[in-house]
Amino acid sequence: MIRHIIRKEFTDVVRDGRFRWCSILVGSLLLVSLGHGWVESQRVQRERQAAQATAREHWEGQGEKNPHSAAHYGIYAFKPRLALSFVDDGVDPYAGTSVWLEAHRQNDFMLRPAQDASAAQRIGALTAAQVLQHLVPLLIILLTFGALAGERERGTLRQLLATGVGRRELATGKALGLSGALALLLVPAAAVGAAALVVATPGPAASPLARGAVLAGIYLVYFGAFLALSLAVSAWARSARTALVVLLAVWVVNGFVAPRVAVDLSKWLHPTPSALQFARTMEQDLGSGVDGIAPPDRAAITQALLEEHGVDSVQALPVNETGIYLQESEEFSNQIFDRNYGALWDTFERQTVVHEAVAAAAPLLAVRALSMGLAGTDVEQHRHFATAAETYRREMVLLMNNDMAMNSRSGDFTYAAGRELWEEVPPLDYAAPGMGWVLGNRVLSLIVLAAWLGGAILVARARVQRAEVG
Amino acid sequence: MTARTVLRKEWRLLRADRALRIALGLFGVLLVYALANGVVWTRFQERNIESAQTQNVERAAGFAEELAHIEAGGEPASQFADPRSPFVMGGSSGSHTATLEPGPLSVLAVGQSDLLPYYYDVNIYTNESTLQQNGEVENPVNLMAGRFDLTFVVVYLLPLLVLALSFNVLSAERERGTLALTLSQPVRVRSIVAAKLAFRAMLAVGLVLAVAVVGLLATGGAGSPGRMLLWCGAVVAYALFWFALAAWVNTLRRTSAWNATVLVGAWLVLVVVLPAAINIAADLLHPLPSRVEMITVQREASNEAVNSRSELLARYLEDHPEMAEGVVADDPGFGALSWAATDAVNQQVEVVTAEHDARRAEQIRLVRRYRYLSPALLAQDVIIDAAGTGDARYAHFRDQVRVFAEEWREFFVPAILADEQMTASVLPQVPTYRAVEEDPGDAARRTAAPLTVLGGLVLLVGMGAGVGLGRVRGAD
Repeated sequence: MIRHIIRKEFTDVVRDGRFRWCSILVGSLLLVSLGHGWVESQRVQRERQAAQATAREHWEGQGEKNPHSAAHYGIYAFKPRLALSFVDDGVDPYAGTSVWLEAHRQNDFMLRPAQDASAAQRIGALTAAQVLQHLVPLLIILLTFGALAGERERGTLRQLLATGVGRRELATGKALGLSGALALLLVPAAAVGAAALVVATPGPAASPLARGAVLAGIYLVYFGAFLALSLAVSAWARSARTALVVLLAVWVVNGFVAPRVAVDLSKWLHPTPSALQFARTMEQDLGSGVDGIAPPDRAAITQALLEEHGVDSVQALPVNETGIYLQESEEFSNQIFDRNYGALWDTFERQTVVHEAVAAAAPLLAVRALSMGLAGTDVEQHRHFATAAETYRREMVLLMNNDMAMNSRSGDFTYAAGRELWEEVPPLDYAAPGMGWVLGNRVLSLIVLAAWLGGAILVARARVQRAEVG
Repeated sequence: MTARTVLRKEWRLLRADRALRIALGLFGVLLVYALANGVVWTRFQERNIESAQTQNVERAAGFAEELAHIEAGGEPASQFADPRSPFVMGGSSGSHTATLEPGPLSVLAVGQSDLLPYYYDVNIYTNESTLQQNGEVENPVNLMAGRFDLTFVVVYLLPLLVLALSFNVLSAERERGTLALTLSQPVRVRSIVAAKLAFRAMLAVGLVLAVAVVGLLATGGAGSPGRMLLWCGAVVAYALFWFALAAWVNTLRRTSAWNATVLVGAWLVLVVVLPAAINIAADLLHPLPSRVEMITVQREASNEAVNSRSELLARYLEDHPEMAEGVVADDPGFGALSWAATDAVNQQVEVVTAEHDARRAEQIRLVRRYRYLSPALLAQDVIIDAAGTGDARYAHFRDQVRVFAEEWREFFVPAILADEQMTASVLPQVPTYRAVEEDPGDAARRTAAPLTVLGGLVLLVGMGAGVGLGRVRGAD
């Protein structure tokens, strides 16, 4: 019997003009966004790789100079993109593209693409993730709202149940039939996505296909939850119209209201400092130290060096005292940067947890967090790259200062190193975190999403059991 | 039967309809919440601006004190923070922060204000790269999601309320069988529908405008009546567009359910899908020049400038004059030489950036044409421009900062080149930033075209509805 229900529901939907038009619309938007995302992410990837290579050439070809001057000249790091980022560009437009790595300073990431675009471009960026998170659930609602409420209105529900089919069987059959119809849309899209992934430049993360598969699974869970929820509402509502109104309200809250309320909630629970305050604290801490982190005492360093080498003037030292002092102050400021930037990133991550928690009321937030995570475009992975770039900066500066300290003498301002030293700094080779790390950050979202699916199925079953026949 | 009769009847109906009352109440709560959000954000910016201006005063006072101390025969606290040097008084430790007050109606629209910088530290080193800095510290996820401000409520949610109020304005009468009855009276369908919609429009739009005006008056932001008028104009035109659309759909003589589906579909297409599709088209047809490439070009340009300057002490002292300790610090030409190098870099960067910005401005101009395709984009454009949180006012601010930076350099660079020392007597002459608010007429000129198009759309759809209503007969 259930096979008949599935077949009937599937045929019904596929022959329905509304479904055909809606699916064509959603399907073409999905394909366009996938295509555009792919082209765009390939272009960005190429561009950043080229820029990184040029930055390296600049570094190696900077000519002869004092190593510490070379550290000041520094090098630019460009954030690479993962292959899967074409599905979801996440926070990338808002998070800065590149950072200048130089002596003494941990700089901010600059060049946020959104800052460059116009206000209109903020209102809607069409990515595959947007289509999957917003439009496919709407399609599901349009397919499902009348599934039971409509049968009841037409009086066919009573007839159906009179044939002896179980209520649960009926609902399952309808769900499966509708899923089959949706699969007509989603399976080709997933195939196109997978193909795009195979031919894409791999980017700095391993196993893009596995990530893609998990991403697809997560979206399926999200769709499943919506399908079950819609069936539940359809079973509960007195009329198909009520079902549609309620489901549309859920859709608007889920897609538009809740994400913005989550912003306010996260800012209220975990306020970030103003840029002015952040800069001032940093300046103060760098000037006079904080909490037991003290700036290096140059006189003491000199004294210790003189004693260690048993000489009585810095000129007689076999090392460059200035170089050693510069590195000492570098170590000091690094601790200050870790403290201040660390606190800021931690606040961002706590805010992200608030967004994930609001997902209990709006599953979009859970699926959004997971989708950005797997695409490598969430805040945590931005931090991961920022940290890698900062570590690279510190190693580069250390190498330069040490060379100055060991190979020149105090007061010798004419010492210059060349290409061999610059080449000793390895190229910036970034490895993005693996999928385990990403999902580990998103346990809350996984739980909430699973709870949504489970909860929606349970509610749907209960509602179907109790549904009025007519 | 007059319009007044219809209005009175509508009022009674509304009072009796619980769902509608709840919807309106909920909408009111959302409006107040959005307004409160705007107020909190505006206050936050104001506090920062105030503290930046206090810093300006404190820095000048610190220099005055130090100079008085030195002129009384004292030693400077540090040789390298000696305010007598124009490199110090005009350099980063002597920066003057130029600030942009929140937009005149910023409590009504966050707009771009969470993304774009509203203050810059200006000193002799200020160049085009300074202007590319990030704005306020903000979690990128929050920037991505956007703020719950009145603009969001107006652009996204107001149309839904309008549709809920009017999707069945005529079809319900027909379905209840009251249409024929009503039309047996000597009245025209057009006036009845117009009166019913006028009543609903007064409710929905009145609610928005009341909250906005009361909010502005309460927060002291009512100083710009011209902008307020533009803002209200955009909200009214946008809401009327949706009412007109609902009226027109009602003339197609379908069921209420059909009307609802079509209208929600229209909302989805015009508010959600079209803006996104427009952005994709804009991206493909008019790609913005890449900032990543600009960095590379800037770097090459400044390399060239650097390479052409002296090989002074392996360039080391330029980064660390404080390490010179008597080696060359007394060299009279050092300051001028060092400035020449900085200046050469700045000029190269400026050339590259100006070229980039010109291409970008051209692309943005082309992209902005597409906003005429979506009433939501048009409304958003006018609303945030009127509020003073749109791109234009920030661009105006950056232009002013450029002028001020030039003024600043003109004050300090001659002293650098002439190797002069600054004294306490020059302190009062050091330039300070005087914000010149853009002429309210500028916003009106910029928004004239989109507002006219929006008004034209209302007329067009309204006329369509009027013609359709003329054809409605009681027997339908």
